[in-house]
Amino acid sequence: MTKNLLINLAWRNIWRNKRRSAVVLSSIIVGVAAIISMDGLTNGMTYQRLFNQINLGTSHIQIHKTGYTDNRLVKNFIQGELQLKADILRLPGVKAVSERVVTFGLVSSAESSAGIYVYGVDHKAEKRVSAVSGLIKEGNYLSGAEREVVVGYELANKLNAGLGNKIILMANDPSGKIHSDVFRISGLFESFSSGFDKSYIFVNSNDLQNMLSLGNSYHELAIIVAEPSLAESLKGEIRSAVGSDFEVKTYRDILPILVMQIDLSRESMWIVNMIIGIALVFGIINVMLMTVIERIREFGVLMAIGLSTGKLFSLILLEALIIGLSGTIIGLVITGLIHIPFSYTGIDFSWFSEGLVSLGVGAVIYPVISYQTVLLTIIMTPMIAVAGAIYPAIKAIRLQPVAAIRHY
Amino acid sequence: MEIIRSENLDKIYKDNGVPVQALKNINLTVKKGDHMVIAGPSGSGKTTLLNLLGALDKPTSGKIFFEGEDISKKTVKELSGLRLNKLGFIFQAYNLIPVLSAIENIEFSLMLQGKPEALRRKLSLNALRDLGIEELANKRPNEMSGGQQQRVAVARAIVNDPSVVLADEPTANLDTATGSNLLDLMDEMNRSKNITFLFSSHDPQVIERARILIRLRDGQIESVQTK
Repeated sequence: MTKNLLINLAWRNIWRNKRRSAVVLSSIIVGVAAIISMDGLTNGMTYQRLFNQINLGTSHIQIHKTGYTDNRLVKNFIQGELQLKADILRLPGVKAVSERVVTFGLVSSAESSAGIYVYGVDHKAEKRVSAVSGLIKEGNYLSGAEREVVVGYELANKLNAGLGNKIILMANDPSGKIHSDVFRISGLFESFSSGFDKSYIFVNSNDLQNMLSLGNSYHELAIIVAEPSLAESLKGEIRSAVGSDFEVKTYRDILPILVMQIDLSRESMWIVNMIIGIALVFGIINVMLMTVIERIREFGVLMAIGLSTGKLFSLILLEALIIGLSGTIIGLVITGLIHIPFSYTGIDFSWFSEGLVSLGVGAVIYPVISYQTVLLTIIMTPMIAVAGAIYPAIKAIRLQPVAAIRHY
Repeated sequence: MEIIRSENLDKIYKDNGVPVQALKNINLTVKKGDHMVIAGPSGSGKTTLLNLLGALDKPTSGKIFFEGEDISKKTVKELSGLRLNKLGFIFQAYNLIPVLSAIENIEFSLMLQGKPEALRRKLSLNALRDLGIEELANKRPNEMSGGQQQRVAVARAIVNDPSVVLADEPTANLDTATGSNLLDLMDEMNRSKNITFLFSSHDPQVIERARILIRLRDGQIESVQTK
């Protein structure tokens, strides 16, 4: 027998009606699993969307000539002689930097044409900054060879062009003159975002610089840092290093809507969690009320032999707490066991929603469970169970021992 | 030594809004070592009186003194403490806690008194031994006969050395032989340990053993016999 007979009594009371306890335990387990799984999926989706955007080109920090981001004019370029890249690479926490020539242009094949963003990149540096080189499904990424271009499958389909085919790229130089050049498709990529696949093409930076008469100038310095959380602090350091002629922006500045959506989805998760919590409270009230009604006579006896109303109140709350704790622990273990393999393999939603790809999330979502949610679930669920038992416990302590003992 | 004294005790119930006089002008005294039986036909007010004297219910008017102290105005918490420390109860339907074993049922009130585990165990085993049911220590109520359960209930009632044990129709659910054995045991405890017993019953076996017999009729004391 345990040292505390009251805990022992509470534990055994829970199991006197196994079926009912199993039902309430199951509802808590399902509630915990729902909260954690929803959190995992929402986090996975939002982080993936952000991660994909960062990896597809946004990077952690971007530097442009002041005013460039207002209208993205080709003439707002950064002089190559400034050696900004070397200065930034020296800063602690900076992992990789890529210089990019960026412009808007028109790409044409023999059959069709499309408006696109052209990125002129140094293929070696860009590989360390963006994930596009890893998304090549056919052919090869840029190698530095003359007039090679990498395009997305969706754009290639639209142009009715394939690997090895020629396409013509037209764009304005800094003075506004239109230039064109012929490029040969060396690789076709497929990313997690259909919008990206049909709107972005990649060429070697020197080809684009030559075409637009830019010399060794470029428009964008894309920076990857060791940890995304470092971006905000490094932004200040970089700004002091490069001076006021340049604007320094983190991914949070560049993707404000996405960041807002992430914050919003986190907040909306609390509403969902609250609804699940309220449902749990009512389930527990129902079960604990049944438990109290069934045991009126027993409570009468306990009060007759000297159990105070305070201890009776505690006994009922203790039973709810044990159910709440047990349900939380079992729910967390089951959710964890399901989550671990999915965090590696991901969950394929391609049969379910094509919208995820157009949103830039990708069809396969890798759930990410936040420790804050787990911690909060561990604290809140047993508290919810106890809250659900308060009303039945009040009913119990209001019983008159004499009437309760006579109850059948 | 006086343990319980009632003065002009009245109890009026409301039955569907209609007042019913359950007890009227009850005056009695229970002294240390008494073996008192409150007898009477059904509806005479036996159980109501036992409940009032056992601090389970409050009178409509009149006073109850427990060891000289008026308990009529005590709070719910104070009455609970009084029942825990000074009173033992035996019910007609045994009323053991179904999820606890015999020894745990006996230990329960000792635990509520805050006695240490080792002492609880020792006192509970002693009580079981006194009732001759030591071998039932780890059995749960559903594994025991009615007579065995009522013996455990007696052990539970006496284990914390109460001033008085109140037994409400303790033999009503037992066959004659089992009831007689149980009453013999309680008689023996009354004599050898000077435990005060206050019964309510209309069982002749209980009535014939009473040293003080109080007969109730229609909520009033009809007669008091002392043997």
